[in-house]
Amino acid sequence: MSMPTHSVDPHSTKNDGEGRWSTRRIAIYALFVALAIVASFIEFPIFPAAPYLKYDPSGIVSLIAGFAFGPMAAVLVSILSWIPHMFADPLGSIMAIVVALGLSVPASLLYRRFHSRIGALYGILLGAGCALIVALLGNLVVTPLYANISVEQVIAMILPILLPFNLLKLAIHGVVTFIIYKPISMLVKR
Amino acid sequence: MIHTDMFAAPTVSSSQAIHDSAQINRSASDTHTKQIANVQLTDVRFSYDHGRSWALDGISFDIHRGEYICILGANGSGKSTLGRILAGFVSPDAGQVDLMGQTVFSGTHADEQAYRQARHHIGMVFQNPEDQIVTTVVQDDVAFGVENLGVPHDHIATRVHQALEQVDMLDFALADPSRLSGGQQQRVAIAGALAMHPGMLVLDEPVAMLDDAGRQEVSGIIQRLRDEKTTIINITHMFEDARTADRLIVLDHGTLAYDGRPNAFLNSPELLKAHGLEDIREQELGAQPLSMASDTKNTHEKRKQALAIDHVTFTFSDAHKPALSDVSFSANQGEIIAIVGRNGSGKSTLARLICALAKPQQGSIEVNGINAYGARGHRGRRLRKSLRACVGYVMQHPERQLFADTVEADVAYGPHNLGCSDDQTRQRVDETLEFLGIAAYAERSPFALSGGQQRLAAIAGVIASEPTVLVLDEPTAGLDAHARSRMYTLIAQLKAQGTTIIMTTHSHDEAELLSDKVALLHHGSLLAFGEPKDVLPLYDEITDRALNLHAHSDKRQQGFNPSDRSPIAKKSSWIHLLDPRVKMVSALVMMFTAFAIHSLWQLAWAAVVVCGIVGMSRLGIRHVLQTVKILLAMLVVMGVLNLLVTRSGTVLFQWGIVMVTDAGIMSAVLYTCRFALVVMLGAVVMQTTTPTEMTDSMESLLSPLKRWGFHVQELALVMSLALRFIPTLTREARQIIDAQAARGGSVETGSPIERVKALASIVVPVFAGALRHADNVSLALDARCYEGGSGRTHFRMLKTHKKDYCFLAGSVFYIALLFAIPAIF
Repeated sequence: MSMPTHSVDPHSTKNDGEGRWSTRRIAIYALFVALAIVASFIEFPIFPAAPYLKYDPSGIVSLIAGFAFGPMAAVLVSILSWIPHMFADPLGSIMAIVVALGLSVPASLLYRRFHSRIGALYGILLGAGCALIVALLGNLVVTPLYANISVEQVIAMILPILLPFNLLKLAIHGVVTFIIYKPISMLVKR
Repeated sequence: MIHTDMFAAPTVSSSQAIHDSAQINRSASDTHTKQIANVQLTDVRFSYDHGRSWALDGISFDIHRGEYICILGANGSGKSTLGRILAGFVSPDAGQVDLMGQTVFSGTHADEQAYRQARHHIGMVFQNPEDQIVTTVVQDDVAFGVENLGVPHDHIATRVHQALEQVDMLDFALADPSRLSGGQQQRVAIAGALAMHPGMLVLDEPVAMLDDAGRQEVSGIIQRLRDEKTTIINITHMFEDARTADRLIVLDHGTLAYDGRPNAFLNSPELLKAHGLEDIREQELGAQPLSMASDTKNTHEKRKQALAIDHVTFTFSDAHKPALSDVSFSANQGEIIAIVGRNGSGKSTLARLICALAKPQQGSIEVNGINAYGARGHRGRRLRKSLRACVGYVMQHPERQLFADTVEADVAYGPHNLGCSDDQTRQRVDETLEFLGIAAYAERSPFALSGGQQRLAAIAGVIASEPTVLVLDEPTAGLDAHARSRMYTLIAQLKAQGTTIIMTTHSHDEAELLSDKVALLHHGSLLAFGEPKDVLPLYDEITDRALNLHAHSDKRQQGFNPSDRSPIAKKSSWIHLLDPRVKMVSALVMMFTAFAIHSLWQLAWAAVVVCGIVGMSRLGIRHVLQTVKILLAMLVVMGVLNLLVTRSGTVLFQWGIVMVTDAGIMSAVLYTCRFALVVMLGAVVMQTTTPTEMTDSMESLLSPLKRWGFHVQELALVMSLALRFIPTLTREARQIIDAQAARGGSVETGSPIERVKALASIVVPVFAGALRHADNVSLALDARCYEGGSGRTHFRMLKTHKKDYCFLAGSVFYIALLFAIPAIF
């Protein structure tokens, strides 16, 4: 599917070709950001070994936004949806933004080139790989700010805690996105 | 203004009416030589499928300045398409369109520049009140269109004030639109159009989604707006509204069926019938269900009790007053019980309780002898599972819960969750689709169906589980007359099969037509329960009283509580009044630098400053701590983690590998406290800054990026719209979670595949809702002439004062000292 702005409407009375965002584009970005914000507040622990690491489904919204409306939508949804958290947990929000970008932007770029179910699958895998690397690197920086532990100690946590948690989280994102994308693409095309 | 009685002519035969009235119009326009045409349509045609079929075919008429015109037509007659052409939203495929004195379309050419200019003088209001409101404060929303027109800042406030006065909403200028009733929201939307001083107002079914009270409110306002300067075009299905028009235009299958005085058409049963507009109420009342209702009364004693509600009280966790208090009544098998009451009377809450989607604090509910909360733990879960098997829940707008790739897969979800075998499930799905007459769509995507078909498919998804008790929450909301009578037949059929039906409704007629017993709720209490003929007059009394209250401009009392006002009204402290840009940037810098705190002295300094800020905000330390309650658990975890990972320093306590040292205690205190300060500071900012202030600041702070082509204003609008829709999406998500839970879906239990499916059954409809809102919002932005950030003016201005510079200086001093402390001590 193409960007909503590229569709040719024989009944259009407007000229959106002046580098402006169409109102439809603004509305879709806004509702996806709202959805991602709502999703980001639904947090729950999924990994018993580290109850302080929580899963939230907002990454699914970023991925779907990227698939349906292109990389720009993925960027906007990933960033704007964490702005409201900025004042509650500034470091955590920055981490979340970087991971969401790592997941959704490569996925949507690949899907744009290979517009098929296989393309979506590889997109999700590529995105998950990037997000995993970003999440691990980010933890090396952020965890020592939350607790008095050295980078070496964080590295020691990767295998038992950080890697399995992030794999599980990205697996849920990926599987759910892959399953729900087909019915949603029906809706977007309408 | 041209009054209808000016045209009072002797009775005209119906076939002649069109011709005659057109002539009268023409002669009227001759005498009023000064009459200015706002609209001229000449042989306009419009097709959605590149000319295979015509939604509008050869429409010609003029509309003059100051006229009040109603457009009637059955579903699919093309009246909404016509409305969009009149508002300059779409151009036709052929013909000529002149709007507000400009030829905007001729032949095949749409003149974008002319369209743009014309649109600036046309206001448009849509069906769905909620999707037209684009900000989180009523007055900001009314100002939005005015800002887009580039009206100078000094004039905006006056226009906003006048427009709110015109729709009687001045008292709500600072309210949060998402807390207003549908009628009030629609009045705000009308004010948003009026503030732009349009020469013409196009209203597309403005009352279609409102309840009776809201409908009367809005219709009353529209009548008041009639004057010589503003042309009003009201696309409607309400005969009462159409009767008051200067001129009535009727469409039938895309052609002009009538153009003239309203009464000549509306008083002619033949004309109405010929164009598919027969008086719907009569048709409904004459339908068969009425006879179905009476036959139960004879067999009454034989039936056993299906539902017993016993002294039920329910209070929402965030409310002070109970949503339901001490409600008791019962229903026998095969009865139809109507729960009536005004908006907010507790109808939907009661429906949810019957389906065991929430637990009453007091009292009990038994369905078929099962009390879903009669046992705890594992047994309780089993009880609820057996309850799900016998109770079906059809939520309001059930089409919003559709999720699967095909209709049959969607319908199969419930039976499958109840543990039916594949064969059994298939059989139930086939039977249900057959029963509802939608078997032909079994393999289609539910999203490709029409609105009425979607609702049937969603209901199929509930009744395929063969519930013996079916709870329907406003089953006819938003349906047109034909779909509505189809629904009545369906309810009668289900009753004939012995299903007990509990339905909520705000419609007197519906309750009278269908129900055996009526339960009347008012402010959460059961006022009456019994035969429709005894209870419904009481309901009418309540409705009339509410309307009279309103008519006597006692609107202050109307469901509005001053504490609902936006926080701006309560704004008081120094911190509240700071320029939000200064406040937010300073706070963020202070929050990030807090992670550099490494000594107790630094911690003490930061604590003094943060506590000072909390004190100045007058929020009260307890209130601030309460808002960060959820983060306290994280703080505890962090403290323990710090305590245990630190191995240096003197060992104070050791137990196996667990070791606590003095350095460990030190780092636990330091890391936990500095994070607590970060959280408190953030909470103060969130509590003292409104969403509009935040998005305004974001726009202002990012504005330097405009130079590199960043869409800064658009970005701020995206953010502001997103914040506006959070409550809406949250509410809808909750409703969907409920509805799917009632069909036995559960994310918490089952195999991974079942869980993912349960999640998809919630996530897909939520996305569908977001896209549906997005479509409406984009139209609302167009209607308010949003054309990008350039050329916009601003209603709210951010100004920096002396106190802002003081605060900034203070912040700089704080940070400088924070970093100097390690050098000093």
